[in-house]
Amino acid sequence: MIANPLDLSSRTVLVTGASSGIGRECAILLSSLNARVVIVGRDESKLEETSLLLAGSGHRIEPFDFLATEKIASWVKRIAGEVGPLHGFVHAAGHQLVTPVRTLTLSALEEQMRLNLFSGIMLAQGFCQKGCFVRGGSIVFISSIMASLGKPAISAYCASKAGLLGFTRSLALELVREKIRVNCITPSIVESNMSSTLKDLMLPEQWTALEEAHPLGFGTPRDVANAAAFLLADTGRWITGTALVVDGGYSAQ
Amino acid sequence: MTKAEFLRSFDTILELPEGTLKGSEKLEDLENWNSMAMIDFIALADTNNNVKLSARQIGSAETVADLLQLAKVDQ
Repeated sequence: MIANPLDLSSRTVLVTGASSGIGRECAILLSSLNARVVIVGRDESKLEETSLLLAGSGHRIEPFDFLATEKIASWVKRIAGEVGPLHGFVHAAGHQLVTPVRTLTLSALEEQMRLNLFSGIMLAQGFCQKGCFVRGGSIVFISSIMASLGKPAISAYCASKAGLLGFTRSLALELVREKIRVNCITPSIVESNMSSTLKDLMLPEQWTALEEAHPLGFGTPRDVANAAAFLLADTGRWITGTALVVDGGYSAQ
Repeated sequence: MTKAEFLRSFDTILELPEGTLKGSEKLEDLENWNSMAMIDFIALADTNNNVKLSARQIGSAETVADLLQLAKVDQ
């Protein structure tokens, strides 16, 4: 029998944003690949719902609000102390602020940066602490195709995701010595709560035009989860410091 | 946010001199009323009145007063 190259047996992976969308789907897929997952999100009841969808056993629910940036590193230390060193994490938690620059407030900008960028940086810092990670581990950030492209009214979001992309490249080089790979995925629109919110802000004809701009149509959370599993598992052994575009062909035009 | 404050902010969004809008104006007559201004208004309602509006709701408005009503601004 041929071994599954995506197998994650005896590896513990922390997944943020696991209460819905991409994060939830990552947790489900990784558990089906035999990983033990620590699922993280703000809403404990939604995490409970996710946990019911996980395969295998030994998983853990950790409610956490990533606006509490200052507490992230010590929080990771505590979790690793309780579940053992982590093989890696998928950071899918995030928020899309839709506001043109002229009505953007500093507090909204700061919140956007804390949730999408600072949280990822501090999560990596927490992960890098002694005893928190295993050599040969893998970090996956969920950035966005908007890290490289632009659309009106989401400039703060684009900046936060571009920041994550830059952070990925530098951190990848920094952690080579520990044999930790660092990559990000840059998806376009997938069907999720975030895309529903965006859809509400657009007229039906605008939404249709956006969908038509995706040669393969809009994606699903599973499309992104598949890429995350690929980067976490040994299949990604020779990949670090890169951005994997998963966008249905949106940026090919 | 009071009606006067909302109208002032809306003046800014539409790049009009402060004090221009009174409420009775038809949106179709306002030169800078476009999809970006719609998003600005949605953000304004959310940030200041904690009212979440959709583009579809905004699209149903005909006058500035209709928008204020959607944003639950006391008139």
